[in-house]
Amino acid sequence: MTNPQLQKIRSVEIDIFPFLIPSIKNILLKVDIEILDNLEEIRLRAKKPLMVFYKNADWFVTTSGKLSKDIKDAYVVMQQEILKTMELMSENSVYAYQDEIKSGYLTLRGGHRVGLCGKVIMLDGQIKNIKDFNGLNIRVAKEIRGCSNHLIKYITKGSFDIYNTLIIGPPQCGKTTILRDIARIVSNGDKNFDFTGIKTGIVDERSEIAACHKGIPQNDVGFRTDVMDGCPKTLGMEMLLRSMSPSVIMTDEIGTHGDKEAILKVLNSGVKIIASAHGYNISELKMREELLALIKSGAFERYIVLSSKNGPGTLEEVVNSQMSAVYKRCSA
Amino acid sequence: MIIKFLGAIALIGATSFIGYSLAADCSKRPKALRELQALLQMLENEISYLSNLLSEAFSRIYEGSNSETAILFSEAAKNLGTNGVTADAAWEEAVEENYTKLSLNKEDKAILMTFGKMLGNSDLEGQINNIKLISSQLKLQELKAEQMRLKNEKMYRSLGVLSGLSIAIILF
Repeated sequence: MTNPQLQKIRSVEIDIFPFLIPSIKNILLKVDIEILDNLEEIRLRAKKPLMVFYKNADWFVTTSGKLSKDIKDAYVVMQQEILKTMELMSENSVYAYQDEIKSGYLTLRGGHRVGLCGKVIMLDGQIKNIKDFNGLNIRVAKEIRGCSNHLIKYITKGSFDIYNTLIIGPPQCGKTTILRDIARIVSNGDKNFDFTGIKTGIVDERSEIAACHKGIPQNDVGFRTDVMDGCPKTLGMEMLLRSMSPSVIMTDEIGTHGDKEAILKVLNSGVKIIASAHGYNISELKMREELLALIKSGAFERYIVLSSKNGPGTLEEVVNSQMSAVYKRCSA
Repeated sequence: MIIKFLGAIALIGATSFIGYSLAADCSKRPKALRELQALLQMLENEISYLSNLLSEAFSRIYEGSNSETAILFSEAAKNLGTNGVTADAAWEEAVEENYTKLSLNKEDKAILMTFGKMLGNSDLEGQINNIKLISSQLKLQELKAEQMRLKNEKMYRSLGVLSGLSIAIILF
């Protein structure tokens, strides 16, 4: 699939509008096409103004489809509209999406994530359902191809092998986007980097890397990639190891209890790992017990620290397992 | 004389035919109600064991059944295909357009409309409860319709034959 084609398929109108209630869809249809193509979020909250997130700022949307900073002009969303939108998003089959709703989000075709808020119903200490939705956050998925080009060379070791890598970065700096792009390159292989593709397994606990819709990855994560969707990391890694014979396993946001054992098990089986973790720098990671143990055990051969100083995905430094810098950004 | 005689026979035949066809109509409604219950049972299977999406479940029911009432499901599935239509609107439209064709009355229609309100917008448990509730209501309607049928069927038939006879006698 070529890039322009992908862009077309992922457009807001085609993927998201069919699932909006007509009253809101008609307003958004009046919004300038240039803005629509660059929307980051569409927010519906009960009895609150209709808002969109565009170019790092939030805007009210008026009835005539203009973006405004004045709350007086804003179109006010009713709860009924949210409920109906939810019905449309679940393709009129809320029962079939029960598990996803329970975990607080839906994934639309095209990989767009819809966050849900509402009244949570508990049963025996577990979330049974969410009802009376009061807020929807439609996050327009953006797959940025080539966003990891500048750091692939720090990950690959020859044409067939890679380093065990930990990608570190604060929220919103593009960790997941970069991880996804790395998955695509590692899996497909890329002549530009003189790398031959290897078998890749992804444990996508929050369905953010591959963004599966009914089991089918909506993002391009490569053709040698197997995705275990919505599966807890520790269990997923073991399942992949046992059955899919991957050469590398990728997973998002490690650092919770049990991750260390799972990752060491992966490494002991001779399988490589690429993972990401929240944090601003390596010394911050060492404060966290689970990660400190992993760092000490020398599990990772490359630490890649990201920031959003020069826009999302800025490469701060690359460090090897002996903690000596392979690359450091000049702060000038 | 022969012409008169033939005319009388034709007259009696015609009124009897009307009577019998009215009687046949009486059995249409209980039949439709019975079929609906069976189809709802299929819907329950579709969504609880197969976890199919509503539009898919509807089309499968329509394809898997050759009863007349399945048209409700095919119409609703068709309506669901249009953008921005929720399940309740799709179902209501299908019921509104077809209930007279299926010889259902206003009461039956109201029950089917209530069914639409809950359609697809709750969890599995809610859906199954909704289907069970509507099924039991349809069952009651069916019993009532059956009694009506027994009463009216005989009446229409004899009325058809007898009215033909009496007109013939008067005209002779």
